[in-house]
Parts: sequence; C-alpha cells; structure tokens
Amino acid sequence: MILEGRNIGLRYPNTDNCLFENLSFKITEPGFHALFGASGVGKTSLAKIITGDLKGFSGEIKTGDMDDLLYSYNLERLPGWSSVGNHLAKITSPSHQDLMDEIIDAFGLREHIRLRFSELSLGQQNRINLIRYLLQDFQLLIMDESLANVDELTRERIILKIKDLFPERLFLYISHNIIEVSRCCDEILVFRSLHNGTRTVSVKGQNHKTGQTVEKEDLELTMLEIMHAS
Amino acid sequence: MLHRRISQFLIIYFTGLAILLSIKYVLNLSDYVIPCPADIGTTFLQVFPMYSSDVMDTLSVAVISQVLSICLAFLVGIIGRRTTWFGSFVKVAAYNIQAYPIVALAPIIFILLGDGFLPRLLIATMICYFPLLLSVLGIMSQPITDIEHFYRVTGRMRWQLEVKIRAYENMNKLTTVIVGSATLAMAGAIVGEFIAADSGIGYSIRIALYQSDLSRILIALFMIGISISLYQGLLEWSGYLAKKKWTD
Repeated sequence: MILEGRNIGLRYPNTDNCLFENLSFKITEPGFHALFGASGVGKTSLAKIITGDLKGFSGEIKTGDMDDLLYSYNLERLPGWSSVGNHLAKITSPSHQDLMDEIIDAFGLREHIRLRFSELSLGQQNRINLIRYLLQDFQLLIMDESLANVDELTRERIILKIKDLFPERLFLYISHNIIEVSRCCDEILVFRSLHNGTRTVSVKGQNHKTGQTVEKEDLELTMLEIMHAS
Repeated sequence: MLHRRISQFLIIYFTGLAILLSIKYVLNLSDYVIPCPADIGTTFLQVFPMYSSDVMDTLSVAVISQVLSICLAFLVGIIGRRTTWFGSFVKVAAYNIQAYPIVALAPIIFILLGDGFLPRLLIATMICYFPLLLSVLGIMSQPITDIEHFYRVTGRMRWQLEVKIRAYENMNKLTTVIVGSATLAMAGAIVGEFIAADSGIGYSIRIALYQSDLSRILIALFMIGISISLYQGLLEWSGYLAKKKWTD
C-alpha cells in the first residue's frame, strides 16, 4: 500500500449535505492512476485532502513514506514579468537540467519557451504548468485537469512520456475523458454520487505504455465498467 | 495622459468660472463680490510670479509627504498583509484611524510644532497616508492563488516573491491609487498651510481670504489645478514606464 484513505468524511461549512461519508480507497502500486466522476462529486476536494491542502475532514489518509505530495490544476498561471523559459530555469535544480530539456522537447514546447505565459495558448499554458511540477522532487503528483485544452494525440504522448520518465512515482490524474482514462490509467477510482454522499469504486484500466497496444474490446470493456460504476 | 489631464482640468475650471460669472451678471453682483474677467486678468499678471513660487513650494511639500506616505504605506502594507494577529491588528487599526478625520488633529500639530515646514509636512503626510495604507493593505492582502499556489506547495514562496507577484498583478490599481493620493497630499499640504505656515499657496489663499480678494483665490485655484494635473500626469507616465519596463 502506498496511498490509502479510510472513512473519509467531509462537510463544507454552512452546508447540510456531506460531500463524503465513510469514503475509502486504496492504491497499492506507483504509476498513473485516475480519479474519475461527474463534476461536483468531490474529486478535487479529495485531491486536496490527500495533499493536505484541505483540512477539516474526518477519517484518515495514509501516505506511507511519501513526503512530497503536490497538487496541480489547470487554471494556474506563471508570473508575467519574465519568459516561461526563465521561470522554468529558476525553479529547476541543476541536477534536473537535462530532464527539463527532455520534457520541454517531449511536450512540444521548445519554440515557445522564450514567450511569456500570457502569450501562450491555453493548452501550451497547461503544459508549461505541468512541466514545472514534474521538475520538482515529488512522490505523488495530482494532475487536476492538467492537460485540458491539449489535443488528444499530444495528451497521450505526454502521458506516455511521464510514465517512461517517472515509473516509480505516483500520479493521480483527474479527467472527464473516459477514453483517455480507460486507456492510460492503471487504477481508476470512479466516484459515484449517492443520496448519502459519494462512494468510490475501483476499476482496473488498460494502463497503456510506450510500445504496447490496447485492444479495442478491452478498452470498451473498461469504459463499460466505468460507466456502470459511475 | 498629461494632455488629457490638463484639458480635463481646464474644461472644469473654465466651466466653474463661467457659472460664477453668469451668477454675477444674472444677479448683477458688484466686482467686489465676484470680480469681472478684466480684474481677474490683471490680478493674474500681478500675482503670477509670486503664486508660481508658492505653488512650487506647496507642491514640493506635497511630493515629499506623498513619497513618505507611499514608503510607509508599503512598509506597513507588506507587514500587515499576513493573516497573523499582527496583520489583523494593523488592518483593524488602519480602518479605525481612517474613520477619524485626520485634519481635525492639525491644530494639535500646530500647537506642538508651530509654523513652518515640519507641521505642513506632517499634516500632509497624515492626510495622504491612511487612505493609501488601506488601498495598499487591500492589494497586498489579496492572494493571487492561481500564481502563488505552485510556489507555496513547493516551498519556494518568499515574502519578496509574494509582494512582487501581488504588486505586478495589481500594477494598474497601484498606479491609480498613487496618482489619486497626490491630490490628497496636495490637499493636506494646503490645509497645513491654512493652519500652520508662513509660505505656500495655502498661506497665500489665507491672506487673499482675509482681503476678500476672490480674483487671487481664483488664480490660486487655477495654479493649484494646473500643477496637480501636471504632477499626476507625470505619475501616470512613470507608472506606465515602470509597467512597460517590467513587461518588456
């Protein structure tokens, strides 16, 4: 076990209903996993609980020996006074310089690093934001819609690259794209909204990796499982 | 910017003057109550050199007091931006003191310090400082979450970076606040000169008031308006240059 939640309960102040009550989950292996569910079921809240950004919940989160837990989301911005390349250079340790170059190339952003953040498209902005998190020392990175506004092919290429570069790290990917989640993720925690709070069901994804193929029937089966669970 | 400010002032000033002269002619008031345009012109030629010097004197006090207020407001604003007990204390104290008419304290300063440069500077600084502090506190206390999040969760946030992010993101607001505070500093300096000075345009207005010389007062207002418009235009231009330099 590397990440476990036991009987998580959360009620936001001044609301009658619990967002979660006795929500439990377990992720036992590093890799690329997903939180999937409709808007408002509590994916982001759970992500923030895991990283310690949200307090006031009941239950227990066990993170094992993971200390550096990061939460990133797609609306983040970089300061506007300098180019994104300068910002990346400033937050990258010398030992990660090669990694930075490799990720910039893999994410297709080499030509854009001289620009300022506001001069990039939304998809480019999200990719730059994700790069700076990948260049930090972390054991768990939660990517909350971090690849929004990026085209499907580039998204898949990026996810495969992340898996190649960080096989021993744990990723929790929040996305509403059922095909992408089914194809690329290993464990998929599907959030089911019930009248008495949210439950999660774990579905095994296809965990697509570089050099492997995913059978269409297997992918469809996973998608069906997710739809049934949600 | 400068051109717009001066033309706006001229429109307002001459509209006001036109209304005043209309009242004079409609009510058939004597030149003693409201002077005729020729009297105003003659007085202008007479007092222009002296009033120019007075306005420059007052403006210099206003500029120094504004610089002091800005430095102090940023210092306290930066310290008070945090959600600590001290930050809360500074905010509550600033709001409460702001609610009190600072100008009412001016006589105390006059009693303690007498006539001269220092009481003028102190009164102008006090009048300019508190509204400026409230604005700076508001701006510096407001997190720019979508930018700051990364630096916070990765442990890279330093107070200098936090202040830089908030100042950069609110550059237009800060420029507007600083430009607006120039009027307060000027008003403070003039109030100080009404009460506790032997020089400056406020002192000259006080003398004109004792002589019931409306021409001189109108000319003093004209020169105050032109000088403050020029100064504010200069501040706006400086803000524009600072932002341009930061973003280029």
